[in-house]
Amino acid sequence: MLRELTDTNLMKLGIQATDWQDAIRQAAQPLVDQSRIRESYVEDIIQGVRDYGPYIVLTKNVALPHARPEAGALRDAIGIATLKTPVYFGNKDNDPVKYLFCLSATDDEKHLDGLAQLAQLLENRDFLDELDHASDPAEIIAYLDKLEQ
Amino acid sequence: MYKALVCCRAGMGSSMLLKIKADQVIRENGYPIATEHGNLDSLIGFNGDLVITMDDLSTELAGKVPYALGIRNIVDKEEMKQKLETYLASMNQ
Repeated sequence: MLRELTDTNLMKLGIQATDWQDAIRQAAQPLVDQSRIRESYVEDIIQGVRDYGPYIVLTKNVALPHARPEAGALRDAIGIATLKTPVYFGNKDNDPVKYLFCLSATDDEKHLDGLAQLAQLLENRDFLDELDHASDPAEIIAYLDKLEQ
Repeated sequence: MYKALVCCRAGMGSSMLLKIKADQVIRENGYPIATEHGNLDSLIGFNGDLVITMDDLSTELAGKVPYALGIRNIVDKEEMKQKLETYLASMNQ
């Protein structure tokens, strides 16, 4: 489940980002700090968007920055980040991006339950509202814990 | 039964989310489509019927695969449903 892939030290709320690259770097930094991904993984995400367009922007206001495992995923994780001011990724349907869920996937199996739950959570605004109102990452963990009860 | 490849560049994040959503819609509506997932490399030698991917990648794939279905909003089941039905209708002509 999502709860097993994330933690308070993988979250960053209210980031001030200058552009989409900066937003990805800041959202991914906790995962680098916690040895879930290498720096090279972050650069690969950014290069991917440059090469292929903003395919990581999946639904209104939401991006799922991720790259191939071999780009430097060390341990499965999902980071949670919100931007103080949303930024434009160049995705005409879903811009601007305010929420970033940085995914580290070391293979295509282990993170599946967590992703499925995230997909479910993104179907309504409750979870995103929770992210907007949370002043501390611990509140988000409490929200996710409550879902599992 | 039609064979669909669900893919994104990395074959990890968005394609898996997309597969989860596609499978939900396919199951709920009983479409004759089986999905597998992969990355862009999986397209080499792909012998299936359609490719489901995010909208911006699908335009790149147009002409290179039998049918490219591009999704704009991954959590919008209605969009997925409409586009799968358009595909199925095109096959029945």
